[in-house]
Amino acid sequence: MVSFLAKRLGFAVITLFCVLTLVFLLVRILPGDPALVILGDQASPESLMALRQRLGLDQPLPVQYARFLMQSVQGDLGRSMISGRPVMDEILTVLPYTLELTMAALLLGALLGVPAGVWAAVKRGRTPDYILRFLSLVGLSLPAFVAAIVLLMVFAIQLRWFPVISAGGANTLAERLRQMALPTLALALIMMAYITRVTRSAMLEVLSQDFIRTARAKGASPSRVIWNHALGNCLIPITTVVGLYLGILIGNSVLTEIVFSRPGLGKLILSALTQRDYTLLQGMIVIYTLMVVVVNLLTDLTYGFLDPRVKYK
Amino acid sequence: MSGIISESPTSAHPRNGMRSFLSRLNFSTQAGLAVLLLLVLAAIFAPQLATHAPSQQSLINQLAPPGGKYLLGADQFGRDIWSRLLYGARYSLIIGFSAITIALVLGSFIGMVAGYRGGAIDIVLMQMMDVILAFPSLILGLALVALMGATVTNIVIAIAFTATPAFARIARAAVMAQRDREYVQACHAMGFSGARVLFRHILPAILPEIMVMASLWMATAVRTEASLAFIGLGLAPPTPTWGGMVREGFENILSSFHLALFPSMAILLLVLAFNLIGDGLRDAIDPRMKDVS
Repeated sequence: MVSFLAKRLGFAVITLFCVLTLVFLLVRILPGDPALVILGDQASPESLMALRQRLGLDQPLPVQYARFLMQSVQGDLGRSMISGRPVMDEILTVLPYTLELTMAALLLGALLGVPAGVWAAVKRGRTPDYILRFLSLVGLSLPAFVAAIVLLMVFAIQLRWFPVISAGGANTLAERLRQMALPTLALALIMMAYITRVTRSAMLEVLSQDFIRTARAKGASPSRVIWNHALGNCLIPITTVVGLYLGILIGNSVLTEIVFSRPGLGKLILSALTQRDYTLLQGMIVIYTLMVVVVNLLTDLTYGFLDPRVKYK
Repeated sequence: MSGIISESPTSAHPRNGMRSFLSRLNFSTQAGLAVLLLLVLAAIFAPQLATHAPSQQSLINQLAPPGGKYLLGADQFGRDIWSRLLYGARYSLIIGFSAITIALVLGSFIGMVAGYRGGAIDIVLMQMMDVILAFPSLILGLALVALMGATVTNIVIAIAFTATPAFARIARAAVMAQRDREYVQACHAMGFSGARVLFRHILPAILPEIMVMASLWMATAVRTEASLAFIGLGLAPPTPTWGGMVREGFENILSSFHLALFPSMAILLLVLAFNLIGDGLRDAIDPRMKDVS
């Protein structure tokens, strides 16, 4: 267990190191002088020089690289070129909004997707199965912004059940949930589609195994066989898919946040892009990647809890 | 459900062979192919099918509702939505197809070499692929396009870059499954070079799996292109891209929601077509899935 953990952590660290290097190179190699971007075309050569010095851009690339690595490891992602605030602070201010959205979407997607997948598997080859399979294919074909816009059109604009803009400012918990409902649902629909499909195929595989026949033969009720005997053995493939698609979900949250004008990482990365705030952009990519690496690590560790037969080597 | 990789028909008539090939595909693939064909035709014959020039503005017809002179209505500049959708199909298809072709060739090559050679080469190549996979693909695509500039070439490069590791992984796994088969040993015994064994003999065996992946990733590529355009990192206006049309339509969503609705449906239709094809093909070539589905 300990050596497995060490190995996985080692790989995660190597990956993060490569990611940092790639991000550093990407931002440096591409054309455009950040100092010129910040100060504009009218800036005097002296002020440009001074700014480059302040940002450390006058140093040779290897020195910049070493400094970037050292600071990143210490959790210092530099200062925003536009606002001058530490990038870490900028990110931490809005991170809770994005985390709350993705976690809620994950939970809702699983709560809807697992039963739907089980139902499709039990009704294999019959109408509910075909309908669910087609709907889940539609779900995973939906770009997140299309899902968000359709929900917005129907439930916020036509029916007026939910607010059109879900930008902060909620005083009560009920109001907060009302603002979160549509963005969460938009992401949850896509998550649900993935979970339904993997649950269905995992269930079909488990249901054809001998121990299920044994359970049925000894007289366990059909619902007990499905929910206790079979579903427990599907948890590993389901967790794998959840872990894999959490990365996609984090990326998709950008689109949902834009549609519903919700504060979060999406809005921050957009402003970094439009204002060419390279330090902020670079820091945000590092944080996004860190989240994916952590999720993958957690997914690996979950296997042992879900299935005692899994041995970490 | 019949497999598509069972022996190809020996019929002398190519047309006959094609028909029998199609009839063996499952319904999902057939439906997906039909929709895709329709959209490809719409893109090719856009000049004939369009009722207006895609960028022709008309002040008095701003936000015209669907029906009448404008089949699907007009946007905030009075441009015909139907005509813009037709031309927009060209960009979605060309960008998606180019990006996935590059990713397929590059990724399969990397994966095949890694799987065939093993050892240090395998570890280094796959670690490189894992690094790319650690980025959420939309965020990586967004950063690449933002830094390089939104041109067709750069969007293609960005999408191809994010899709390459998927092909590397599937090709590697497929090659490793073939590596110790008898026909490969026979090739070695006959003294064939590694490259010849890999690309003349193993490649045909793993191609079906790669093609399934390509179809599913075409869906992702089209979705990513549309998402980038929706964020504002698509081709510059007035180029008609579906994602860009949704973006512009979204600004007028309170008064006229058809602006965003029709391009949204077009994106969904194209992505769904590719997913139907990929899903159907996978069922057809995976013998394990044949039993359960």
